[in-house]
Amino acid sequence: MTGDPTLLTIREASTLIAERKLSPVELTKACIARTEALDATLSTYVAFTPELALDAARAAEAEIGTSGPRGPMHGIPVGLKDIYDTAGVATTAHSNLLKSRVPAEDAFTVTKLRESGAVITGKLGTFEFAIGGPSFDLFTLPARNPWDPARTTGGSSSGSGAAVAAGMVLGATGSDTGASIRSPSSLCGLAGIKPTYGLLSRRGILPLSQSLDHAGPMCWTVEDAALMLQAMVGHDPLDPACADVAVPDFTEKLDETVKGKTIGVIRHFHETDHEAAPPVLAAIEQAIAVYRSLGCVIKEVTLPPLMDFAAVGLIIMSSEAFAIHEADLRATPELYGEIARDRISMGGLLTGADYVQALRRRQELCAAVAEAMIGVDVLLTAGSPFPAQPIDNVPKWLMYQKPSITMPFNVTGLPALALCAGYEPGTGLPVAMQLVGHPFAETTVFQLGHAYEQATQWRATRPALLAA
Amino acid sequence: MSETISTEAFQVLLDRAGIRVKPEHMEEMRSAFMLLQAMRERVRKPRGYDAEPAHIFAPMGR
Repeated sequence: MTGDPTLLTIREASTLIAERKLSPVELTKACIARTEALDATLSTYVAFTPELALDAARAAEAEIGTSGPRGPMHGIPVGLKDIYDTAGVATTAHSNLLKSRVPAEDAFTVTKLRESGAVITGKLGTFEFAIGGPSFDLFTLPARNPWDPARTTGGSSSGSGAAVAAGMVLGATGSDTGASIRSPSSLCGLAGIKPTYGLLSRRGILPLSQSLDHAGPMCWTVEDAALMLQAMVGHDPLDPACADVAVPDFTEKLDETVKGKTIGVIRHFHETDHEAAPPVLAAIEQAIAVYRSLGCVIKEVTLPPLMDFAAVGLIIMSSEAFAIHEADLRATPELYGEIARDRISMGGLLTGADYVQALRRRQELCAAVAEAMIGVDVLLTAGSPFPAQPIDNVPKWLMYQKPSITMPFNVTGLPALALCAGYEPGTGLPVAMQLVGHPFAETTVFQLGHAYEQATQWRATRPALLAA
Repeated sequence: MSETISTEAFQVLLDRAGIRVKPEHMEEMRSAFMLLQAMRERVRKPRGYDAEPAHIFAPMGR
């Protein structure tokens, strides 16, 4: 093929691979070259494994040459957030505490990705233990935003956000306990989905907070996120939270009309509860206009205050995280970076009653959201209240000061997709919205996200860094 | 539940949890904890005895 293969979507690349017009080896080499050119600027990887990737790409190429592709992920380079266990390759959570930890087995979702034929390129940086960052006191530096390397990627799936936006990989895994797929997807201009709680196995993914943790994919387009999610899904009887549900084809509705779909806009979330920056507010209004032009029904939905969800999420997350780290925090606190150590420590100051009261409030919030969603296909609000901030000026206690706009859907477990909704005038930084569906209704979320992408031009713009 | 906490009372909580905080971080941690105090208050609503926590599930086989 002609042109830069690293700028292809997964759908485009897989089509070319199936037609023998693009070689998985050629594609992987291009991603490796892109990484070698930009990683010193963006600090995306904690463990880059190009030789293993090339071995996998050669194997994919040979198999495709004889029996055709296994599916759309066969021969596609993807990166893994460094909390996903990889057999024989260190999995550290980007922490000095686990710097020498080499798992014996792959995470369940990594096994699924390998079975799909995906080419794994290495382990991507993360906020330490998916909570502490951006940190400058770990064994490698924090990832930087390809749209402006002086800015944060958001987190915690920071390396994943940077690597996909920079074309180092065509997709990456993330995890999301309060924002960690949707924040970097929003700030890096990607499509990232936190699926329904229980859809994806968490086994072999280092936990932050077991009842809020979700795995998920981060890609350039909504369609790609659907394709990659398909490759990661499957019932895992060894994860007690993994739901045994029928798995649909997540792309089956992508080309269906969205006319008549009802979108519930949670205005108070982004207009008052956590007032978004003007370019985000403008983008949300433009997105609503796009959906109206596509024949969707727009209605306003009122949920409990955003701070109620934030309080529940923070208390549960802090308590569960402290329980996981209690012994290490007491024995070797110096092995944690400052931000992770201090944030996780806060959970030790809570009581059992605090935790149970938060769980009781969680039950009430889930019921309130379910009732508000009657007659609504998806909810819509901002993906992040603001574009990417300077990387050296991210407030350590922001989640305490301002309620997270993504946490409600970890608390409720609903599928939530972040997708690019334009660019801030002047800076060119991405802004984003969230679409939130009913439990296990990912296909509808993807349908509405894809329809929006098809109706807009945002996917035609890549970071200027890639043209340099 | 007060949203303010003295330095001495905060130190007691840290000691009980077995957490060591660097002196230069003590004040910012205490300030953050006061924000957390407000959240502890927020999750407490008038409820009946029968208000269940989330994640109560049916036993296997039921």
